[in-house]
Amino acid sequence: MVKKYFRIWVQLAVMSFKIQTGHVVASGGYLLGKLVRIAFFLLFLASIFKHTQALAGYRMEEVALFFLTFNVIDIIAQLFFRGIYGIRALVREGDFDYFLIQPVQILFRVAFNTVDFLDVVTVIPVLGVTAYVMTRIPHALSLTSLLIYSVLCINGMLIALAIHIAVAALAVWTQELDNTIWIYRDVMTLGRFPVDIYSTVVRQVLIYVVPVAVMVSFPVKGFLHQLKPSDWLLACLMSTSSLALALYFWKEATRHYTSVSS
Amino acid sequence: MEGISSFRKYWFIYWLYWQEGLQQRASFLMERFRSLVVLLSFYSLWSALLAQKGSFANYDRPQMMTYVLGSSILRSLVFASRTSEIAGDINHGRLSAYLLKPVNYFTYTFSRDLSEKSINLFSSIIEVAILSWVFGIHFQWPTHVSSWCFFLASLAFAVTLYFLLCFIVGCWGFWTAESGGPRFLLELFLEFSAGAFFPLDILPLSIQTALKTLPSPYLIFFPMRIFLERAPMTEIVQGFRVQFFWIIGLAVLARWFWVRGVDMYGAEGS
Repeated sequence: MVKKYFRIWVQLAVMSFKIQTGHVVASGGYLLGKLVRIAFFLLFLASIFKHTQALAGYRMEEVALFFLTFNVIDIIAQLFFRGIYGIRALVREGDFDYFLIQPVQILFRVAFNTVDFLDVVTVIPVLGVTAYVMTRIPHALSLTSLLIYSVLCINGMLIALAIHIAVAALAVWTQELDNTIWIYRDVMTLGRFPVDIYSTVVRQVLIYVVPVAVMVSFPVKGFLHQLKPSDWLLACLMSTSSLALALYFWKEATRHYTSVSS
Repeated sequence: MEGISSFRKYWFIYWLYWQEGLQQRASFLMERFRSLVVLLSFYSLWSALLAQKGSFANYDRPQMMTYVLGSSILRSLVFASRTSEIAGDINHGRLSAYLLKPVNYFTYTFSRDLSEKSINLFSSIIEVAILSWVFGIHFQWPTHVSSWCFFLASLAFAVTLYFLLCFIVGCWGFWTAESGGPRFLLELFLEFSAGAFFPLDILPLSIQTALKTLPSPYLIFFPMRIFLERAPMTEIVQGFRVQFFWIIGLAVLARWFWVRGVDMYGAEGS
């Protein structure tokens, strides 16, 4: 089963790779753009800390870790769930019906319809800089803190998966909401900074409604040994419940789907 | 007489695109929500930084908040553009239809851009007003009439400058069907180096000096410096000179790209 799905993923990835390498100028521009955006933002953070010692109690390296963790989760989520971005077109143009008759899980087929290799190239330097920044926080760096950080990052990606599934379900159900995924992406950018800088209301929204704080801030706070046991419980609860809800929503959406354009 | 008729023609184009922009209300509202999220994140960042001490990098709280919210309005005016459609028009052969019509394509795209800019400007002013009311933010308004005049002039030049830059990138469509990537790169670079999210004078001096050789600081940072009355007269004069230099240079380049491009245009896809 796993082997079969891995083979399908490789096949889809190879197709995406060929498309992207066939458009060298466009792909080069997008790739450079992504890297430039990250570099500029790090420069911006460094410039801020030329004028201050701390932001909401965090030092420069710690704030940089928040920003880099946001990038790690955002880029990996895009890498694996990029296909979701095109689901509305799939539904509208009838390709979704074609996928439904294929002997493969429809959600898997949609999510991996496109694999963005530019994100593979982008995530490598981001992981490198993240590792470097972690070494600049010696009081927190340990095997345990790395393990905590990794577990909470995976937890964050599960929530990202749940949000992508929910967005896909909405698209199948309504054939609308082109902007929904972009709203998620923009709300996600609130995670570039420590959640502590926001007002209480915004913070609560970022923890309980669109759990960007759980996805991005929690791994860093875990790394810095600032998480309480109740936060751990909340993190697990948010990922499992959002995933269960999204999968239920997806199942209902596909059950009610009556074909649009094939 | 012909001038009036010409003006009416482009006014009609402006009005058509204004209506089109407001027709898809759900998309429009979502787009504005996205803009509000970005504004909220930067407002919160600067608020947290200014909470620690009254000022930051020689900006007091009203000045910095005016910069953050003001640059958000300026961003929605200067950076709002539909010039990405130029490359699409070329690559899909739609340009042929425009070439056959009694319109100047350059003025046509500028009218289309202006309607997009107007919609974004009005929406952005409302968003900023709401945010200011909710968080009790006080703007620092210019105290001299001359500052208003210089500010509006610098803004008009900034709009022209950005349009010319985007028109040139759109014209790349004559040579490649892949201008989307370089355009994405240019937009990101311009947004950062224009000071769209933060005042450029918080950056290290060497980077500030390097950026000043480019047109980007004159899109947002320079008009905001005038608005905040932080720019002395010598800087204002120098800024206008640079804006003027770039506008002339880019206008010549845009014309060159357009003439060369139309010469080799094959109307593929039409």
